Amino acid sequence: MSLLEIKNAKLKLDDKDILKGLSLSVNSGEVHAIMGPNGSGKSTLSYMLAGRDGYELESGEVFLEGQSLSDMEADERARSGLFLAFQYPVELPGVGGMSFLREAVNSRRKFLGEEELDHLAFVKEARKVASKMFVKDEMLKRAVNVGFSGGEKKRFEILQMAMLKPKVSILDETDSGLDVDALKIVSDGVNAQRNDENAIVVITHYQRLLDYIVPDFVHILSDGNIIKSGGPELALEVEKNGYAGLINAA
Amino acid sequence: MLHNVKDNYIISVKDHVSQFEEKSFRKLASNDFKSWPSPREETWRLSRLGVLSRKEITPITPNFKKQISSVSKFKSSKIIRFVDGALREDLSSKLPPGVSLNILGEEDSLRCFHKFKDSNLKDHPSTNVSFSCTPSIVKLTIEKDVKIRDLFEIIYEGGDDDTSVHPALYIELKDNSSITIIERFNHLSSLIMPLQLVELKKNASINSLKIFNDNQQSYNLSANCTFLSEKSNYNSFSLIKGGLFTRSETHAYLKGENCNLNLNGVYLSSKNQHHDLTTAIYHDVPNCTSKQIVRGVLGGKSTGVFQGKVRVAPDAQKTDGQQMSRAILLSENAIANAKPELEIYADDVICAHGATVGEIDDDQLFYLKSRGISEKKAKQILITAFLKDIINESVEESIQNYVFEEAELALSEIISKEI
Repeated sequence: MSLLEIKNAKLKLDDKDILKGLSLSVNSGEVHAIMGPNGSGKSTLSYMLAGRDGYELESGEVFLEGQSLSDMEADERARSGLFLAFQYPVELPGVGGMSFLREAVNSRRKFLGEEELDHLAFVKEARKVASKMFVKDEMLKRAVNVGFSGGEKKRFEILQMAMLKPKVSILDETDSGLDVDALKIVSDGVNAQRNDENAIVVITHYQRLLDYIVPDFVHILSDGNIIKSGGPELALEVEKNGYAGLINAA
Repeated sequence: MLHNVKDNYIISVKDHVSQFEEKSFRKLASNDFKSWPSPREETWRLSRLGVLSRKEITPITPNFKKQISSVSKFKSSKIIRFVDGALREDLSSKLPPGVSLNILGEEDSLRCFHKFKDSNLKDHPSTNVSFSCTPSIVKLTIEKDVKIRDLFEIIYEGGDDDTSVHPALYIELKDNSSITIIERFNHLSSLIMPLQLVELKKNASINSLKIFNDNQQSYNLSANCTFLSEKSNYNSFSLIKGGLFTRSETHAYLKGENCNLNLNGVYLSSKNQHHDLTTAIYHDVPNCTSKQIVRGVLGGKSTGVFQGKVRVAPDAQKTDGQQMSRAILLSENAIANAKPELEIYADDVICAHGATVGEIDDDQLFYLKSRGISEKKAKQILITAFLKDIINESVEESIQNYVFEEAELALSEIISKEI
């Protein structure tokens, strides 16, 4: 059974068709890359999957581990094991990093029937994971994403992913705003979490990120649909010839 | 003599005045109390007092035997208590050296009265009524070079239904002195009209926290008149959560160069509460800074008002004046009004103001929900953060938790009804 199954997804925003019958199946242990030019529907796809208000499907369906997401709010989807790493992580002034993480992790643990972590146990766990992601203690004491650099914001996203242990992670343009060193740290963080039990969907403009997070499958998204699928070599083709050639051929 | 019902309170104020022997400032004040401000007056347009003229209220005669049960939340604070608007030394702490508490005589009271009458609070109803009816004007003096480490708490309580209370406090900080004062308004009266005169001499510094938490049926019309001398520092934060109608009005006169003023505040309003923070800041000399950050959270059918005026005189070059107000409405029936006003007559100044009224930010809410946090919890987190942010920025570190706990009580009541 696939971990994530998108079936014929259609979605309109302001009366404009954005997703036009998109289908995708992601099995456990797999990493899929979705590449596409500006305006192809990449961010819409990630918001739709995460369950943002206003991004409900017009028709079609999405299943997470066989369970339909259509009646689930964003928070239920997240507790069920779906994670979205934001392209632009949102600043939360006044919300401390550590207490935010704890609230999120305990929501997920509660859903999984695991015991909620008390403050001390949690802090210990968070510090352990954070140090692997080169996230300093001091960053966890600050308000979430407030005054973080581009690299720090993305590292904090992947730290959340590591702590929440999702079944399916959607990484929306995780490479945007990162220099090479930061890209490597973030990618290492993601790769460390790859295993046979979970799956990752990487949404990106550029092939660059895929040098670090090597996908099993690459899909080209154009005008609300996947027009071509293949292996990692497809990403190299995009890099070489641009999207235009592929789109025209399709 | 037949008289209109509307005049009842005016008559009872005048009757009350007649019982005092020394009459000069009381008589002057009571002569000036002719009616409640009309909504046609610009500063009372958003906060109307009409309903007061239909209430049967008389100024309270303090009961000096009244016992109180309130306790302090601090282990070693110095407490000054006002009951029924009168100072109760028997219920107050012994004061440390360098601090004194006196009841002003006739001459000093008159001087104090004129300070108010020379200010733009001259027509404020509390100015006229409380100078008429206060049991006495109490002066708290911090001597030169005295820096008070103990926390001071001034607790105003007592009062009865259908009475008005009139505490009047004059705080003077002499050169190079400093103090932190928490004031709590916990009255049971229908009408509360506190007067406060603050004078900061050269290089003096005060951290002032006011918590308005009167009875749910009361009207509190607090009037504060503050004068800042050279290099002085007035850091004030008001938390308005109680009363049916609470208006805290502060007028600050920056009279000496290089002084600094913060007039921040939060109002937390539910049911049919009306909360109003009104300020007027007068930059009369160059090189001073003033800052106001006001935040409100409203539920039910409540109304919040922030009106802040900053006036920069022609000579007050290099003034830095900032104003920012934000309100979050949790109910469709709640209303928030913001009226920032800048009057600038100097050309080399930095002044800015902004106001927003709205709901909880969608992006922030989605971000929290996308981490598995329920909508209800996410809203709680965001509103709490909205308050924590300003409290941490405005309030001295040692009392931040205390303020936050005070705010949280009112907040959870609003949230439990709206979310």
